[in-house]
Amino acid sequence: MKESVFVSLLLLLVASVSVHAADSISTTGRISLRGTGHIDHEGANEDPDLTARLEIDARKTLWRLHAFIEGGWDGTVRDQPRDTSLLKDLTHVYQDNSPFAEFKELYLERGIGNMEWRIGIQRFSWGRLDEYPANDLLNPWDYNRFLIKSTEDRKIGVPSVSVNVNTKDWTCQLVWEPWFVPYRLPDPGARWSVVPAGSALTGNQEAQITAQEPDLPARTIANGSLGLRVQHPGMIDWAFTLFHGYDPRPVFKTTTLTISQSGEKLRIGPGFEPSFHKITTLGADGATVIGDWSLRAEAAYTFARTFNVRQELWGYPQVLEPGVYSLNPVEVERSSLDYGIGADYRLMEDWLLTLQAQQTEIFDRPASLYEKERETLLWANLKVSWLNQKVETSLNVAYNPEHGASMVRPGIVYILSDQWKVSINGLLLDGPPQSIFGRYAHNDQVEMTVTFSW
Amino acid sequence: MNRYLLTALCLITLLWQTTCALAMTGREVYEKVHELRQKALDRQTTATLVLYDKGGSTRTRSLIEYSKKADPEAYKVLVVFQTPADLKDVGFLIHARTFADRDLWAYFPEFKRVRRIPTTSQDDAFFGTDFSYDDFGGPPNLDDYVFTVQGEETVDGKQCYILDVTPKVHRKYTRFVAWVAKDLWIHLKIAYYQDKVLYRAGSFTDVRMVDDIPTSFKIHMENLTTGHKTELTIDDIKYHTRFPDDLFSQRSLERAGR
Repeated sequence: MKESVFVSLLLLLVASVSVHAADSISTTGRISLRGTGHIDHEGANEDPDLTARLEIDARKTLWRLHAFIEGGWDGTVRDQPRDTSLLKDLTHVYQDNSPFAEFKELYLERGIGNMEWRIGIQRFSWGRLDEYPANDLLNPWDYNRFLIKSTEDRKIGVPSVSVNVNTKDWTCQLVWEPWFVPYRLPDPGARWSVVPAGSALTGNQEAQITAQEPDLPARTIANGSLGLRVQHPGMIDWAFTLFHGYDPRPVFKTTTLTISQSGEKLRIGPGFEPSFHKITTLGADGATVIGDWSLRAEAAYTFARTFNVRQELWGYPQVLEPGVYSLNPVEVERSSLDYGIGADYRLMEDWLLTLQAQQTEIFDRPASLYEKERETLLWANLKVSWLNQKVETSLNVAYNPEHGASMVRPGIVYILSDQWKVSINGLLLDGPPQSIFGRYAHNDQVEMTVTFSW
Repeated sequence: MNRYLLTALCLITLLWQTTCALAMTGREVYEKVHELRQKALDRQTTATLVLYDKGGSTRTRSLIEYSKKADPEAYKVLVVFQTPADLKDVGFLIHARTFADRDLWAYFPEFKRVRRIPTTSQDDAFFGTDFSYDDFGGPPNLDDYVFTVQGEETVDGKQCYILDVTPKVHRKYTRFVAWVAKDLWIHLKIAYYQDKVLYRAGSFTDVRMVDDIPTSFKIHMENLTTGHKTELTIDDIKYHTRFPDDLFSQRSLERAGR
């Protein structure tokens, strides 16, 4: 309810500013048609989807209004959607509306002296690393089509108030998110869903698993999130960050597994639901150039983050039979340190190599966790442009040595004209079922996208 | 008779000395060019770039460039793309502490992050065009080059010095030849060589005086290896803009100079 009022008010503002803004209005947009071909046929299917995005920027003197709307038909939604509303909301973890519309951003900005105030739905980008920036905690992610979407596209815009104070040598950004907004997960059975591995729930085609929508933390001021970032540019650009609020990374708590027979199918209440925990994170990041290398690094220490134990310890029965089963507690709280370093190196003109190594260290790690005491992720990306950047090829490889999980993403983009482009991207995933890439090991695919932009 | 001969000899000597005094060295020519480019640093330029590939198809980009003479720093430049949609609000920022030492940043809205760029990328193609990043920077550090006057030639009806310019530091090109208009102190033609191979050439036309600063409104640059061409047209230019320092911050880069 609060969101509808909030969005309506902002829409009214968009309309009024658009009508009266004499200074400038600019719009950009794009329409994409995407089709997916499956290499591994064990994964769930996906239909072609058609999506559009529109960005509007209206200005009047010191005021600015920015709207970024995305919508269309989501090909990952194949069954009859439970949610028939058009607008994606900020209160549900499982949302399968198609067609859909979503405000990725919708805010009003006002400059006052060396300060800029923004109020509305915002996305933030803190930290320096390309993948999993440890200090980028202000926006929860949408895990639908996870690993296909870029980090920025995964982010869910959150209602927030932010203020930037800019001086000659410093920039200070303070963000307050008064309402808790949960991450979004695909429905169990959807292509990008993750259900506890090592149980009979995995890959059981005869079972209909219904996701359990969790109760969200009360919408009180105390349950808001707060972030502070202080930046200093120079020979080394560095920044310190502080975040206090709900952890945007998904974890689950167990409830009760319920299995009932419905015709020939089993109806399953899977006995787990997303759970939400507050964290406090202190972080720092920096970037500099040394010779031909552009370097960046970041680290974040999180006090008392919640992890899930290995999925074989959740207490699922190995054979599914109608009944009610209690499951084991699965949450463990530990402090952790995330850190990483990234580098860009131009091998030759139009050949850019990007490398990144990052680790997560879990302090006082219990043996029940799947994650090792130190988890490593290595990334390499080679991007090569051809024919005056008319064609761009890329090869992205990621490897998690602790579990032998890997991902390979080759891609090619052909720019047909200023408006049209075609891209073909592959995705190959491998690893044990609970590992970061192995959990999607059945999702090997090739997708083709045709995009028109204006 | 002897008196006439003596007078003639004196006149010849005087003429020869005067000619020597008036003939400029390559360095002196480029000091004039440098002086003018410094004078032109405070400006806002709106430009359109049309890219022609060998097959005849075209792509168009438009951009705004803001620059500022900065003391004690040499200069600051912010370039932001307006079109096409894929490049809108993509920008790059230069802070030159001296003419020889500068920092570069780029911003891609798709990633929402400012990225530092090594200065070794300065000779790379600028967003698919036949210009280099360096073409959008400020004046070069004269001490990094050796300038030699090769002769004189008339280009578009303007008398020019032809200069051979060889970098002392490693660059993508081993030398370039520049046709510098006498009295205007701007390039009218330029040709870049890798060893003996001419690989990139440009011409500067439609020269107009704007606030007493000679400005070429059309620049044509061609990559002779690939046959790709780019034509840059200045749609609007304002000098003596005196922008505030805030415009050249990373925050401003993220906000496309707004």
